[in-house]
Amino acid sequence: MKKTILITAALVAMFTIASQQATAQLSGQQIMEKVYHNPTGDDMQSELTMTLINSRGEERIRQLKQFSKTNDDVEKKIMFFLSPADVRNTSFMNFSYTDGSDDDQWIYLPALRRVRRISSDGKSDYFMGSDFTYDDLGDRHPDEDTHKLIGEEQVNGRATYVVESTSKDPSYMYSKTITWVMKDSFLGLKREFYDRDGKLLKTLLIKSFDQIDGFWTILETEMHNVQRNHRTVMSIKNVQYNTGIRDNQFTERAMTLGL
Amino acid sequence: METNYQSMQSMTNKNWKIMAIITLTVIAISSVLFTRTLVNNARMETNLDEYMPKDHPAFIYSDQAEEWFNIKDGILIAIQSQEGIYNPVTLQKIKDISNGLIAMPEFDANDVVSLYTADNIIGTEYDLDVTSFYTYVPESEDELRKLRQDVRDNEMIYRRVVSEDETVALIIAGMDSDVFTQEFYHDIMEFAHAYGDDNNVIYVAGRPIVEGTMALLGPADMKRMVPVVLIVIALVLYLLLRSVRAAGFTLIGVFVSTIFAFGLMAALGVPVYSVSTMIPVMLIAIGVAYGIYFFNHLNQFSRNNPVASRIDGIKYTVGILWKPLSMAAFTTMIGFLSLLSSQVLPIKYFGLFTAFGILTAFVLALVFLPAAVLLFGHRNPKTKNDAKNQQSVALNRMTDRLLAGKKKVFIITAVILVLAVGGISRVWINSSFLDNFEKDSDIVLTDAFVNSKFGGTSTLNVILEGDHGDVFKMPETLELIDRMQSETMMLAEVGNSFSLADYLKRMNKVMNADDETYFSIPESREMVAQYLLLYEMSGDPENLNKVVNYYYDRTNVTFQLKGDDSKTIHAALAVIRQFEDKFFEQGVTINYAGSGYKALVFTGLILEGQVMSIAISLILVLIILSIMFRSIKAGLIGAVPITITALISFGVMGLLGIPLSTTTALLSSIAIGIGIDYAIHFLQHYRMNLSGSRSQLQVLYKTMGQTGKAILFNAIVVISGFLVLLFSVFPPNRTLGALVSMNMFTSLIGTLSVMMILIYTTRLFFKTSKAQSREPDNNLS
Repeated sequence: MKKTILITAALVAMFTIASQQATAQLSGQQIMEKVYHNPTGDDMQSELTMTLINSRGEERIRQLKQFSKTNDDVEKKIMFFLSPADVRNTSFMNFSYTDGSDDDQWIYLPALRRVRRISSDGKSDYFMGSDFTYDDLGDRHPDEDTHKLIGEEQVNGRATYVVESTSKDPSYMYSKTITWVMKDSFLGLKREFYDRDGKLLKTLLIKSFDQIDGFWTILETEMHNVQRNHRTVMSIKNVQYNTGIRDNQFTERAMTLGL
Repeated sequence: METNYQSMQSMTNKNWKIMAIITLTVIAISSVLFTRTLVNNARMETNLDEYMPKDHPAFIYSDQAEEWFNIKDGILIAIQSQEGIYNPVTLQKIKDISNGLIAMPEFDANDVVSLYTADNIIGTEYDLDVTSFYTYVPESEDELRKLRQDVRDNEMIYRRVVSEDETVALIIAGMDSDVFTQEFYHDIMEFAHAYGDDNNVIYVAGRPIVEGTMALLGPADMKRMVPVVLIVIALVLYLLLRSVRAAGFTLIGVFVSTIFAFGLMAALGVPVYSVSTMIPVMLIAIGVAYGIYFFNHLNQFSRNNPVASRIDGIKYTVGILWKPLSMAAFTTMIGFLSLLSSQVLPIKYFGLFTAFGILTAFVLALVFLPAAVLLFGHRNPKTKNDAKNQQSVALNRMTDRLLAGKKKVFIITAVILVLAVGGISRVWINSSFLDNFEKDSDIVLTDAFVNSKFGGTSTLNVILEGDHGDVFKMPETLELIDRMQSETMMLAEVGNSFSLADYLKRMNKVMNADDETYFSIPESREMVAQYLLLYEMSGDPENLNKVVNYYYDRTNVTFQLKGDDSKTIHAALAVIRQFEDKFFEQGVTINYAGSGYKALVFTGLILEGQVMSIAISLILVLIILSIMFRSIKAGLIGAVPITITALISFGVMGLLGIPLSTTTALLSSIAIGIGIDYAIHFLQHYRMNLSGSRSQLQVLYKTMGQTGKAILFNAIVVISGFLVLLFSVFPPNRTLGALVSMNMFTSLIGTLSVMMILIYTTRLFFKTSKAQSREPDNNLS
């Protein structure tokens, strides 16, 4: 009698553990990997409108045509300014390497007629005076941070995972970031960036997204630097995937040709 | 008259005493209450921005521009190394100081500029590189040599944060004016000086430091000096009144009126401004006078009526004094209340609370002094009769001499006034803070040292606004800015300047392989726009926000000046203003901003308000005296002491080159306060005496003996008290002492000589009394 009770108890215990494992949630690391590996196509082109809004409500609006292509080890991107008129055909090219080595960047100024390489201290530089760093724009490899699932929340009626990510490099410009990841699409819906003192620095909000050609695409985002009350809105339109952009689109010569 | 106060003795002495006790208790309790409010609520306002009128267009504009371009006053920490700053120890210190400042909550990372934090934009044929000058402190000779060369090649850094002789480096930390506190001042000093050693000397300068030191030194010096001033006043008061109690009661009256004025201030939540320190000065000068009038008349009465009771003496004194006293107090109060017309808040408050203090002093003279004398008694000084006679003989002789030599007096006065008016034209307003310190003081020497090595410790911001967007991308507009900068910098006192043009010249040179011939404004609007875009993409865009706005229709040009005095700022403004027309042709208007400019405008406003206040007072006194004495002539004569005091006060400042500042401008208020007081007392007593006598000269003798003596005593007491301030260690307090003494002296002379002679020669009030008496006048010729 005693034995059966013991066995039953053991079985119940085992079953409980097993069932827990069966419904086990994804870990923070797994979620962020899913986000990172969200398919993006081999290449993409679109028109980008970047609006910088300072604390006084002054706006700077820039329109660019951008092309990008992802290979195994490098993501190449080239952008041409459409407006304002006095910077039209200024172009910018960026090679971002998956092995984590520094990006290569070039700029072409039509008034000078010469392509320049830009070398800069690091990825914490802000992109064209915006509130995005190069790092915020590109996909940061999940292995650079440690991730922790800290909860699940409904955001704007969508079920999300809340993941806290801390950089493995203690000198990184953010002490941590918190990301709200949509459960269905594994797209980040919202992200908070905390500065080295642990204070909230920026909030990133995805304002519009859609599935285009089968790829989840973010159409409009707003980054708000709460400390200096500066905003950047980026929106894209005329998005096309996998049009077969050739490699020679991403050359210094291509930069000088303009659109 | 004698029957008058005998009949008044209907109340028993006991009742009077009870009333006196109640009076003293009420005064004591309210003093305690006011003191408590004062202790609990008093708040010193050290932020000079709070002094500026918020609704004045120049300040609204400047404040707005400061916000647009993040214009802040900088604390300058200079580190000097005799063998040159390019050694690992000094470079490490520059790094540590920079990081230490950034870590302080008072500073934003963007507001700290040093060799360590600065961006170095360098270019070669194919590259553009934006880096730090150093992140890790270079150790090897090669690295140090490279760093030195990098700095020399970058005109945006060289001579700005590293001196030309390379022995001094500067760390500039911009801060908001409202975060500066005494504790912070101590903290920053301690922080900076901790980095000093045998080879590295630390200097801390900049406007916030000067303001902070001034806010610290001025009141500290006053705290030391005021007790001495009070002791001297008490002593002299005792010597003149010959009674401890009389001197004591008078001083208590002054003290209580000051407590009331500051207590009310605290109760209403009005902070103590630096000009508020002038309130006690006014109240001492005026309150002492009230006490002297009171005891003079009391003594005179008891001398003439040795057997009369205490209560009789008090009744007589109050009876004779209340009228001139209330007239004088009323007009003086109006004089100070006229300061409400000033645009400067602290000056308004100064006028308001001084008026309240005078009201208190007036009420105390009629209530507290009688009650105190009634309860505690007051020994009449045993002046020997011959001494008394000697005094009056001397006064009479003086009166005679003055009357006999009236022409001389008028001529001398006229000459002095002409000189004074000449001096007034030379009065200059100085808004400098630095000029408040000794020439050999630490702060002045530090400032001079930093000025000798760098562009200047003071700044002037020139704000240009175009009528359409992108105007500051136009090469011709940028050329004009560049020319304005270089022409202004030809002035010896203008050491440096900084604008959007400097960024573009730097970019142009860098993008053309560091070729010096390209150190100029780019030739096309497109090139300007593309350089700016490039800078945004590679440098810190926050830096650009300090010189130009998003629409490129508003830009900020900063000039570094080697002095914060008005002459230096005016000299720079004179050159800059020559460009107004040329800018206007391009649709660009010029405005000015920054703390130095605001101080300049502010001092002008104070002067304007002060002159206005004196003018209003003069007109009011004219009207009031004319009504009181029913004679326009009396009004005109009564205005004489104020006019003389005010003219001489400003004239002497002009002649001696003492600049007008917040405090010195206010000193002419003494002309109002004291001038009105003296004139009314003299005129009133003269008229009163006239009704009992037929001889004009006798009346004059009598008035000189009473009021004249009281005025003389008052002047002696206040002058001797304030002369003590000449030993102050804080120069502005020395000036204060000298000018208060001088104003008291001219008020005295103006009343007792010029006004007295005028009364006599114009036979003021005499017609009516002659008509009444119809008796021949005692002629004096």
